[in-house]
Amino acid sequence: MSQLQQFITTRKQQLSLENQTPLSMTHVIYGYPSVEESLTWMKTLLDLGVDLLEVQFPFSDPVADGPTIVNACHKALTEDLKIKDCLLHLKTLAQAYPNSKIVFMSYLNPIFKFGMTTFIEQASLSGISGIIIPDLAIENAQEYQQACDVFKIDPIWLVTPITPKERLKSIAQRSSGLLYCVSRSGVTGGNRTRDIQSYSYINDVKCYTQTPLAIGFGIRSRKQVEEIMHHADIAIIGSALLDRYDNQGATAAALFVKELFPHLHHS
Amino acid sequence: MKSEQGYYGQYGGSYIPEILYTSQQQIVKAFEEAKNDPLFMQELHKQWEQFSGRPTPLTHCENLSAHFGGAQIYLKREDLNHSGAHKMNNVIGQGLLVKRMGKTRVIAETGAGQHGIATALVAARLGLECTIYMGAKDIARQYPNVFWMKQLGATVVSVTTGSQTLKDALDEALRDWSGSHENSHYLIGTACGCAPFPEMVAYFQSVIGDEVKTQSQAQFNTLPDKLYACVGGGSNAIGLFNAFLEDNTVEMIGVEAAGKGQEIGEHSIRLSHNLGSKAIAQGFSSIFLQNESGQLQDTHSIAAGLDYVGVSPIIAHLAEVNRVRMTYASDKEVLEACSLLLRNEGIIPALESSHALAAAFREAPKLSSQQHIVVNLSGRGDKDIFNVAKAFQDEEFVPFIQEYANTFSNNDDQADDLNNEGGVI
Repeated sequence: MSQLQQFITTRKQQLSLENQTPLSMTHVIYGYPSVEESLTWMKTLLDLGVDLLEVQFPFSDPVADGPTIVNACHKALTEDLKIKDCLLHLKTLAQAYPNSKIVFMSYLNPIFKFGMTTFIEQASLSGISGIIIPDLAIENAQEYQQACDVFKIDPIWLVTPITPKERLKSIAQRSSGLLYCVSRSGVTGGNRTRDIQSYSYINDVKCYTQTPLAIGFGIRSRKQVEEIMHHADIAIIGSALLDRYDNQGATAAALFVKELFPHLHHS
Repeated sequence: MKSEQGYYGQYGGSYIPEILYTSQQQIVKAFEEAKNDPLFMQELHKQWEQFSGRPTPLTHCENLSAHFGGAQIYLKREDLNHSGAHKMNNVIGQGLLVKRMGKTRVIAETGAGQHGIATALVAARLGLECTIYMGAKDIARQYPNVFWMKQLGATVVSVTTGSQTLKDALDEALRDWSGSHENSHYLIGTACGCAPFPEMVAYFQSVIGDEVKTQSQAQFNTLPDKLYACVGGGSNAIGLFNAFLEDNTVEMIGVEAAGKGQEIGEHSIRLSHNLGSKAIAQGFSSIFLQNESGQLQDTHSIAAGLDYVGVSPIIAHLAEVNRVRMTYASDKEVLEACSLLLRNEGIIPALESSHALAAAFREAPKLSSQQHIVVNLSGRGDKDIFNVAKAFQDEEFVPFIQEYANTFSNNDDQADDLNNEGGVI
């Protein structure tokens, strides 16, 4: 069992005794609105005790993301951000906050340009537990998968409500650490707090793997988070959190996180 | 040109969010079946002929050939397609495929607006809902095309993120598709994007070169010595080149937009001089302009249709194996070439196509009068009237626009007149 999976399983067991909640995975964009401010915001979240911190390294053409994250990425890229610096910063955080896990997310090209295997090695040395690359499909991922095996880091695959069954099975069976279950079609974010389209596919996923499941895309209310508790291990909060941060500031955004994940009060 | 599992050498492939996997596979399957269905092919040729006006002529430019005193210059008249550009060839093909797949809506990106117009025309004809994504910068320089798209019933969405040009329009179209794949088809306009789009667009565009092959035999009894095409995404180039790939006596020249300088943000040269490098973005792997951190860079061209950061994986591969020679033309050379064609041959070329003209005009004088070169005149220049007027510093243009703008709001009078005569607007 990978370290990430071990961490999630243990944390779940600790929680389930007293709380009815999934684990929290909060998303932050490195370099937004500036490198300093993004690091301060990450520390705030880690001080709250978020279970998993997802850090997105910006790319100029983030096609899986909606307007909130796209705009923030473009703003962040008015500075020439380096993956190398980002990893150094995350290393410091990983060391300072051993009770949370850090997951790195970016699109393929910045990583490809840096060098896939070198990147995985560096990420592993920086204490990063898992990697999300939304535009790298499992069939294109030989080098990635190999490097992840060698350097003991989990490649976090995505599955969706419309992933064909056979493919769902194959991805689920190859998953480790955690599996990212997309709640619906479309890009990240959006204002509609609609119900999650289909939990039935998540039940299918569970037949194929023991890997912990995280649900993301369009999660922005306590009600949704409560629903997720019945189906998955982790709820991912991305655009909704960024919207709060943009519109009401870091303090209000931190309160929002506590509201969604009451267990964080106790941390 | 057929791919190896979606790849051309090291370029191509499919790098899309997982949510699009099912739709992408559906297109792979539908395209394979359609190609092998005689009824589909019959309908495709019928629409090419009866809706778009194919075959387009191959026009001998006797005046310019004499002017340069070198090769005999021929133009493949893709400007005479319905909609005024080669874009129609592909849109008709994909439009028929959309009907075949039973989808009801198309999404497209557009740079110059030519693909947007072509898509809106075909969508209107086939009864499909249509949304066009266009960079805010491109809307500003190609408004007349936007106007027609809207009149055709399309929704035009101004893309204000990033560089506000074609690359960002493509990103937005992909985002729309991620949420609308159930009923929508992404009708990509160039030989880029995830597999099978490059192969499919090249397939529908290869009618250009197929016709040139027959026409050159008929008009000068041999194959052309050289072919010239401008390269933005690369669809008109691969369309012309495809039929000649095995004919080693035929040299192929792709012409990129050199813009106004060699600094980042001043040009769209990706392949010449190795200014671009391998990247994976917008669903495919190819040569892109990027910085050392792997971020895609800003581009420029006077021709919106060439103002693109990437290039077709097919062209990237053909350039890499030296089957296509890449060169470029600056904004200034392009305007000169445009002017030469206007005055000597009575043809109004698009600024995109004028890049191919500029390279051909540069090289034609060095060739013998026994040699034949074919330039793909991929589009007509009517859409460029504002840019060209500005570039040529036409003195009467500004007063005309001002005067016209002043009377624009008084249009009611004219409308009333027409209504009184029973005219329908």
